[in-house]
Amino acid sequence: MALLGRRILPAPGRTDMMPGMGGFLLRRVAFGLLVLFVGLSGCFLFFASKYPPLYYEPLGHAYWVWLRGLPSGHSLNDGLLAGHQLSAVGSAFGRTLLLLVVTLVIVLLISVPLACLSAANRGSPFDFLVRCLSYAVWAVPVFLAATIGQEGLGRVPGGWGLPWFPYVGWAGDCPNGQGIDEHNFQCPSGGHGLNHVGLVLDHLALPAMVLALGFIGLQARYLRSALLDALDAPYVTVARAKGLPERVVVLRHAVRNALATFVPALVSDFGLIFGAALAIDFIFQLGGIGSLFINSLKLNAEGFVPIDSYALVFALLLAGGLMVIVSILGEVALWMLDPRTRPD
Amino acid sequence: MASVETQAVTAARPVHSRRSSTRLWPRLLRQPAALVSGFVLIAIFVIGAIEPQITPTSASRIHLGSQFIDNPPAFSLSWHILGTDGIGRLVLVRTLEGLHTSEQSALAATLIATLIGVAIGGFSGYRGGSADAMLMRFADMLGIFPALLLLLAAYTYFTPVTVPKASLILACYLWIPVARVVRAEITTLRDREFVQAARSLGASDRRIFFRHLLPNASATIIIAATTLLGQVIMIEALIEFFGLGVPAEITPTLGNLIGDGQRNVLALAWGWWTWAGPAVLLVIILVCANLLGDGVADALRPQRQR
Repeated sequence: MALLGRRILPAPGRTDMMPGMGGFLLRRVAFGLLVLFVGLSGCFLFFASKYPPLYYEPLGHAYWVWLRGLPSGHSLNDGLLAGHQLSAVGSAFGRTLLLLVVTLVIVLLISVPLACLSAANRGSPFDFLVRCLSYAVWAVPVFLAATIGQEGLGRVPGGWGLPWFPYVGWAGDCPNGQGIDEHNFQCPSGGHGLNHVGLVLDHLALPAMVLALGFIGLQARYLRSALLDALDAPYVTVARAKGLPERVVVLRHAVRNALATFVPALVSDFGLIFGAALAIDFIFQLGGIGSLFINSLKLNAEGFVPIDSYALVFALLLAGGLMVIVSILGEVALWMLDPRTRPD
Repeated sequence: MASVETQAVTAARPVHSRRSSTRLWPRLLRQPAALVSGFVLIAIFVIGAIEPQITPTSASRIHLGSQFIDNPPAFSLSWHILGTDGIGRLVLVRTLEGLHTSEQSALAATLIATLIGVAIGGFSGYRGGSADAMLMRFADMLGIFPALLLLLAAYTYFTPVTVPKASLILACYLWIPVARVVRAEITTLRDREFVQAARSLGASDRRIFFRHLLPNASATIIIAATTLLGQVIMIEALIEFFGLGVPAEITPTLGNLIGDGQRNVLALAWGWWTWAGPAVLLVIILVCANLLGDGVADALRPQRQR
């Protein structure tokens, strides 16, 4: 893997990797912002006609009020949750982001070795087993995996499983899930410093593992297929003919080239992972974007509090912004991995 | 020189449905997993379709005397085999009712999404130019928002959600992947020799599109539609699970039965059978749909095969 790392990063002194990168990035960011703005405007117009705070206004005026409030942040912060929204949504965004990062690390740490092993031993029982398992775990809906994981590995009062992980909630949050006696329950402390980091990871471990489960199989299958293409290519035959050990052939030549196919697949699946993360977030009550969003919709569906179109658009902005950032990062990675994709 | 002429003439002949089907079946026969899962899927869907005829009419009745705690699954050949739920309804019958609704909306949504995707993707790919750019940017724009958030927002906007409404909402978002692949396929086919030959023979745009381009893109469309089916079932179950779709009291679906079961009993600990039935059925359907989608893709695109 050390060899692999050295090959991916540009060697010191080699600057031919980057020409045109600045302009490319600038264009991508500008386009992303434009798409985000148009999309959010569409969503706002759609929802503002029905939900407070502006539904009584004519649509054009409502849009103007929203547009005027955008630069100062009023349009994001002034809804029914006035004042609280920015801080609440900010921390929710951080939590969702952390969940996604931990999940991606788990997915990559497991799926890359799995794919390398099964591609190197094509047609072996191991390969077959990995394929079968990947189909099996991919077909389990994320909410099912989450509840089974929660009951089986969470510390639930009166549960039957292995009490290894916290049942719901974030470090320092008061859980209010099913089966918790609210009168005899003391809110746990979030800890300080390293202790806090440990507690956060403890609360994140189970949700991240459940979320990663389905995607490990999927990504391993993509990478395996890309690796098989690479292993059939002439340069691999050349590498073998030079007498390189198989380990070096796979890790340094095949994986390096397969990544150019794998990274776009991973990036295009990010939407799926993100969507699943929102569901996981709600089931484990992590207090991320998913909980925030679904809780506010839930109240509306029950008929208590009508939803706030400002809050809705803000949540969509955060989610869409994250997707845009990830797609740009994916393109940058592809730019670095595969010179053929660079526009002249 | 003569060969060039014959080549052009043969290539200009439209692909007839009979020819493509004789090519599809032998290839599909070499995909045993896809074949088996296809048959299982069809069997499940047929059972779901005839569900109102086979289940006893009194099954949905509430029996407060036979609550779930006293009625675990019993290994007997009767409707009681999966036990009863919180208010004494038979779980097996409820599951089949859920299957009936879920398959209706999943098939309808897949069909509508495929039709929209083929129409938009085909138009966009065939026309090219600014119409193409605008339609695809629109698809990109919808695509940057996570499906779950946008669909949940749409579901609440259109409350109360009924089954046809839910299918339409899903289809209005999920046409995007179909449109993308159809557009890509039509764009490459548009410049091929057989289309040029047809055009030089004076064929109209409509004829070229429906007689030459669409039949040749049929493999891509079938793959996109079968892949979409699994996604539709998964996303719909997810939304229903949160209780934001059609209410379980009125119209049970697989998703809201699972969600309802888990909210009403203390999940796995007691009364697990109230939701395990629909959950297992859902997983079987998803496994079959995914295997079928992959198998069809392997059969129709031999270069993808491993």
